[in-house]
Amino acid sequence: MNALELSDVRKIYTMGDGSDVVALDHASLTVADDEIVALVGPSGSGKTTLCSIAGGILSPTEGRIVVAGEDISDYGDKQLTAFRQQSIGFVFQSVNLVPFLNAKENLTVVDELGKRTGKVAQQRADQLLEELGLADRKKNLPSQLSGGQRQRVAIGRALMNDPKLVLFDEPTSALDTELGEQVMELIRMEMKRRGTSAIVVTHDERITQFCDRSVHIIDGHLAA
Amino acid sequence: MFLALKEIARAKTRFGLLVAAIGLLVFLILFQQSLQNGLITGFVGAIRNQNAPVLVYSVDGQRVIQGSIIPPDLEAELQTVDGIGEVGRIGQGTFTGLPSRSSETFDTTIIGYELGPDGQGLGAPIELAGGRYPTQDLEVVASTGGDFEFAVGDTIVLQPGGFTVDVVGIADDIQLNVAPTLFASYDTWSNAVQSVNPDAGEPLPNVIAVAPADGVSDVEVVGAINARSLDFDALTRADAASETPGVAQVQQSFQLIFLLYGLVVPCVTGLFFLIVTFQKANALTLLRAIGAPAGRLVWSLLIQVVLMIGGGLILGTALYYPLSQSRLGGISLRFETGAVIFWSVLLLVLGVASSLVAARRVLRIDPIEATTGAGVGV
Ligand SMILES: Nc1ncnc2c1ncn2[C@@H]1O[C@H](COP(=O)(O)OP(=O)(O)O)[C@@H](O)[C@H]1O
Ligand SMILES: [Mg+2]
Repeated sequence: MNALELSDVRKIYTMGDGSDVVALDHASLTVADDEIVALVGPSGSGKTTLCSIAGGILSPTEGRIVVAGEDISDYGDKQLTAFRQQSIGFVFQSVNLVPFLNAKENLTVVDELGKRTGKVAQQRADQLLEELGLADRKKNLPSQLSGGQRQRVAIGRALMNDPKLVLFDEPTSALDTELGEQVMELIRMEMKRRGTSAIVVTHDERITQFCDRSVHIIDGHLAA
Repeated sequence: MFLALKEIARAKTRFGLLVAAIGLLVFLILFQQSLQNGLITGFVGAIRNQNAPVLVYSVDGQRVIQGSIIPPDLEAELQTVDGIGEVGRIGQGTFTGLPSRSSETFDTTIIGYELGPDGQGLGAPIELAGGRYPTQDLEVVASTGGDFEFAVGDTIVLQPGGFTVDVVGIADDIQLNVAPTLFASYDTWSNAVQSVNPDAGEPLPNVIAVAPADGVSDVEVVGAINARSLDFDALTRADAASETPGVAQVQQSFQLIFLLYGLVVPCVTGLFFLIVTFQKANALTLLRAIGAPAGRLVWSLLIQVVLMIGGGLILGTALYYPLSQSRLGGISLRFETGAVIFWSVLLLVLGVASSLVAARRVLRIDPIEATTGAGVGV
């Protein structure tokens, strides 16, 4: 089963002055099971919009979205919230951590949002932090972590709910090249270890080497 | 619960300050509630806590016992009103008293009532805190509290008559005009009055205590008495207390203060949580984006509101308790359990209501905002 099938998705923003901005135009994209796709494009090309629609944060103007067999095209707010909680892992461009929760709690909070599993979630958080090299940083607040460490906590958070699809929106943009590559290596390892599919948004061609395939986007149009 | 408690644990100072602020306000509210009740009880406890259900004043008295005088013809007329059961005379006056255990004299109020066979005739204190009711002249029930703490066995010399009365019982909350008050036989009062002005003859009673006949309500008998003559001003016990000049004004002043507190507390909590909600808008947006139902976040907010107000109530009550056991001037304070419960419920309701503005802000968060913004941050 494909992790994601976008068919003919359009997203039109209506601006304050009544004019329309076409952020995505007839975008169709399939991400196979276990596949990591790089979404490459310049700023303003529609990358974040595509991820938001694939992840159920944003509803498209037109088109169908099927995630791991689940058609979310017509979902309402409540259904989308539950869908995000159960099926999607997010690493956002900007804010990724709750400042008043420590590293481990930023992972276990995911469990608190849905049906609680308690101990199982605690163990999963410990294991993820271990894999991400943060075993000794569990009790640290985000403000006590470096940028790279924070990004790793965010990756752990995105994997907590055992998602069907993980969306990384420019996960390395705030890191220097070396740290960025380390983080990308980690992302690839974690995805492949679990057989989880992912879209990695970037405008940095070097990042694509960590992905299975690249898709280019310009002015809302996808091109392989 | 998880989020609510973790946030409080990580921002102890901020939430601690809020609890302290609410606690202080609760303390002030409860203290003033005690002060109000203490003041009013000090002023009219003698009316409230005597056993006659109805008191008949003369209209000229303007609802002050000492200002009211019931001449014999009016007293005779009263006896003929339908629905009247028992009646008894009451007199009141203020004299200089020197208690046996004191070297200082006090202005002492004497309330004389017709003792009856057991000392519990109309006008007697409803309840004693110790000792027994007077059964003969020169025996008194003395008020507790006030400037001098009377005890059973004390004697008091009343001037200018120079006669000595024995304290055979004590009762709480029976002061009049915040002065030490002695409930004595009607004749004891009458003799004390005559000692001040020997030429004036026997004084007239100030008010007449009335108990309605069987099957007649207090309000009915009050109506019947007032309908009989324009010179009568009959009042139920509760009305006689609350209509005493000054009492209503005191109550109104305090009510205004309470109203202000009732507004300040929810304003403080409402603003606090609104500011906190704005400050952590990023975190809330993130949580919404990763699948937190909005209701869950509002719930977490409400848990915090209830915990903060609850903490403030406990703190305020803890501060209030020791003070409520004390005495302020001639006024004894009480721990008002009813006030604690009333204000707890009211402040919780108002606090939760005031946080609805913050809750609305939480409900309006659009998770899409999590995808915008610049730079990796927390
Ligand atoms: N909420 C919005 N309202 C109006 N226009 C928007 C909104 N979000 C994005 N856009 C526009 O849609 C286009 C694509 O934006 P975005 O998906 O954020 O691009 P990228 O992530 O590739 O930089 C841009 O032209 C942007 O200005
Ligand atoms: Mg973007």
